[in-house]
Amino acid sequence: MTGKIFRRKDMTISILLLALLVVVAISYPLLALSDPNAIDLTNKNLAPSAEHPLGTDYLGRDILNRLAAGTTTSLSIAAGVSAISLFVGVLIGCISGYYGGIIDETLSRIIDIFLSFPGIVFALAIMGFLGGGVINLILALSVVHWAKYARLMRGQVLSIKENEYVLSAKIIGAGDFHIMRKHLIPNSVATVIILATIDIGHVLLSIAALNFLGIGLPADIPEWGAMLSAGKEFMRTSPYQTIFPGMAITMVVIIFSIIGEGLRDIFDPNDTGGEYL
Amino acid sequence: MSYLNVSSLCVDFLTENGSVKAVNDISFEMKKGETFGIIGESGSGKSVIGQAILRLLPSNAVVNGSISFGAEDLLSLDNKNMRQIRGREISLIPQNPAGSLNPLLKNKIQVAEVFEVMGVNKKEGIKSVLGMLKNLLMKEPARILENHPHELSGGMKQRFLAAMCLSYKPSLLIADEPTKGLDSFSKKGTLDLFRHMKGEHGNSILVITHDLDFALEICDRVAVMYAGQIVEVGPVTDILQIPSHPYTKALLNALPRNGLIPLHGHTPSRIDLPDGCLFYTRCNLRSDKCGTERPATKSIKGGVVRCHLY
Amino acid sequence: MAITLFAVFALTFFLMNVVPGGTSEMILKHTFIGLEESATQEQLAQFSEIYNLNDPLYIQFIDWLKGGIFEGDLGMSFVYHKPVLDLLLLRLPATIILALSSMAIAVVGGVSLGIYAALKENKTADHLLRFLTLFGVSMPGFWVGLILILIFSVYLKMVPVAGYGSLENLILPAFALSIHSLASIMRITRTSMLETLGQDYIKFATSKGLSVNKIISRHALKNAMLPVVTVLGFQMGAMLGGSVIIETVFAWPGIGSLLVNSIFARDLYVVQACIIVIVFLFLIVNFIVDLVYIYLDPRIRYG
Repeated sequence: MTGKIFRRKDMTISILLLALLVVVAISYPLLALSDPNAIDLTNKNLAPSAEHPLGTDYLGRDILNRLAAGTTTSLSIAAGVSAISLFVGVLIGCISGYYGGIIDETLSRIIDIFLSFPGIVFALAIMGFLGGGVINLILALSVVHWAKYARLMRGQVLSIKENEYVLSAKIIGAGDFHIMRKHLIPNSVATVIILATIDIGHVLLSIAALNFLGIGLPADIPEWGAMLSAGKEFMRTSPYQTIFPGMAITMVVIIFSIIGEGLRDIFDPNDTGGEYL
Repeated sequence: MSYLNVSSLCVDFLTENGSVKAVNDISFEMKKGETFGIIGESGSGKSVIGQAILRLLPSNAVVNGSISFGAEDLLSLDNKNMRQIRGREISLIPQNPAGSLNPLLKNKIQVAEVFEVMGVNKKEGIKSVLGMLKNLLMKEPARILENHPHELSGGMKQRFLAAMCLSYKPSLLIADEPTKGLDSFSKKGTLDLFRHMKGEHGNSILVITHDLDFALEICDRVAVMYAGQIVEVGPVTDILQIPSHPYTKALLNALPRNGLIPLHGHTPSRIDLPDGCLFYTRCNLRSDKCGTERPATKSIKGGVVRCHLY
Repeated sequence: MAITLFAVFALTFFLMNVVPGGTSEMILKHTFIGLEESATQEQLAQFSEIYNLNDPLYIQFIDWLKGGIFEGDLGMSFVYHKPVLDLLLLRLPATIILALSSMAIAVVGGVSLGIYAALKENKTADHLLRFLTLFGVSMPGFWVGLILILIFSVYLKMVPVAGYGSLENLILPAFALSIHSLASIMRITRTSMLETLGQDYIKFATSKGLSVNKIISRHALKNAMLPVVTVLGFQMGAMLGGSVIIETVFAWPGIGSLLVNSIFARDLYVVQACIIVIVFLFLIVNFIVDLVYIYLDPRIRYG
């Protein structure tokens, strides 16, 4: 398994880059080298230089510094969204698939309804009325994302529950909870987690989009989408504030796509997209 | 003069794990009007031969040796001339009737292509197909043409494919696993179909099959394949009554009517072939020589065999 | 579909109304800007009457639903003081033009590049296209929009930065909105085309002596399109969502920018209506996609 992963050049590089990003995300706020919000109006809208490798923004804040601090924001929110929506999705999908009947009917219907909203519109509406903030953002995006996982999980459970080992567990009188915890979830969760890995890219794009629209986090939290939104006003004179945050988002999304799709190829060799490098 | 002549044919498939020797130094020839069978277990490489003749193998296949058909060397023809051979000269009834028809197109469109390739007026062509379908014991041929493939049963699909192939009036017909996955009733139908093609149309037919009984019923001569090699070729009556190669004997013994004696062991890996005879580990007549030296083919009365015993 | 639509109506309505700082307070803010403190009970009651806020929530919902379905009355905008329906009708064409042109770019570009990549499997062109797709699905659409503005408006001065009304105005937003779907469609087309080319009926068609062009045009294309059609519905949804942001970037006067502005202005009924229009468009697209699928695949038609 690990061998298969690291035989692929694109996955190896992506995993290393992700590890680096995670280290940055965790250590950056702890190290507190310099304040990403420090305003320096004498040095505003600067082009990249030795002192400011990626330039400064309209308030003279160092762009590289803010991008690094933005890693913490994006990755922690994405992690929160994935954790919550995976938990809810796996649970509901499992219950729906396992019990069947009216429970399945109802839950499937609810899943369908949630899937019939274009995600970002739904998240936008929730954020608009809950107001900004980290917790609200995580909640809004979780509301949007759980249904996908639930549907996949339900399908997995439907196919697994007919297996002999599940039937025999039932025959010897194992409880529903035991069967779900010991048999259904462990045997189907891998597929869902792979989907979630690919999906982290979408979550990151949604975080950026909501903040770009100005409905996301308070202004004192550095975030890539918000940086883009502020930077676009100065596009004519200082395009770096627009270019670099977008590149940062793209890069992180690409990393998650490669890892997620690579994992999928390894788990399901029929559906192979091939390597990227 | 031989009509189809395959000599020293080798087909290797390049895979991630190495190169797989699917067909390993195979030679045989077919006479005009003859029904020739290639018998082997699944994985013996028999279907690869049929596809190699029509050059239908995927791009990771490396083909060596020569295949001559009449005056043409099939492996060195350019694509345009190869297309002239496909269908019109050599027609292949594929092994998976269900998957070989395009599910989205009406049967009629798929038949009409035959006449498109031959340059025959489509209307007249379709008329002749209607006769052919009737001839091949199908009811309501007109309705069948208006249907989509999924509306036909498995046996009907096979007949339909056969009718399509016969419409070319090819000089050689290749049938790849005609009885694969059929129940005994449908097998009987397939047997009738082939007897009919053989008798009425007088085709030369190359039958590729794992079904020993079927081959013995329908063929004039058969070749027995094991692990990518031909181990024995001979007239069907000889093979049936006095098989020479230990593998052929084992195959016959494994038939239900001969006592269903199973053959133990496994076929060797086709990536790293053993030095000696490929059948060595499973052979009950083996000697020391068989483990170290690969036997060459030898002519015996009526055919050839690849074994140190002869 | 009717049940789904009803549930979407209900969900949207209650989501919008059960939030802190309820409806009447919001109207108050919009109607008496700067005078919120001095608004009298009488005035409040009067506005509650106009905006139909006196009844319990479920009655309001039923009234709203009835009004929406039978009279095309989706309530009044607090901000524009106009019927919501009028606002929507004014904005809808812009969104539809943008979405349709983006979809056209995405489908034409995605399908043709996908087929090209499949036919050039594992050659340089294929690798290059696959690498570009990775960027296509990973770049935020609004950033692509900004970069396009930067290149084509700011530096090359070829097209105006924003605006509405001419083809020039449409090019950049349509392209920015299409890029993600284009890449996704290309990807699925390539995969599906390769899978189709490996099918037995392609092999049989080859053995029939057909030319490569015939095999591709008659046997591969239509079959390879089935999975593509399936993702089209989903892509259209993503595109409707994306249009909300792209419209904001390019000041495109469609439903999306109306939605964003109304969220900021807390213009409840407009927000509700925008969401419902977007969901409704999405459901219609999916319905059309189902019809196309049925048309393409005879196995479903009769099965």
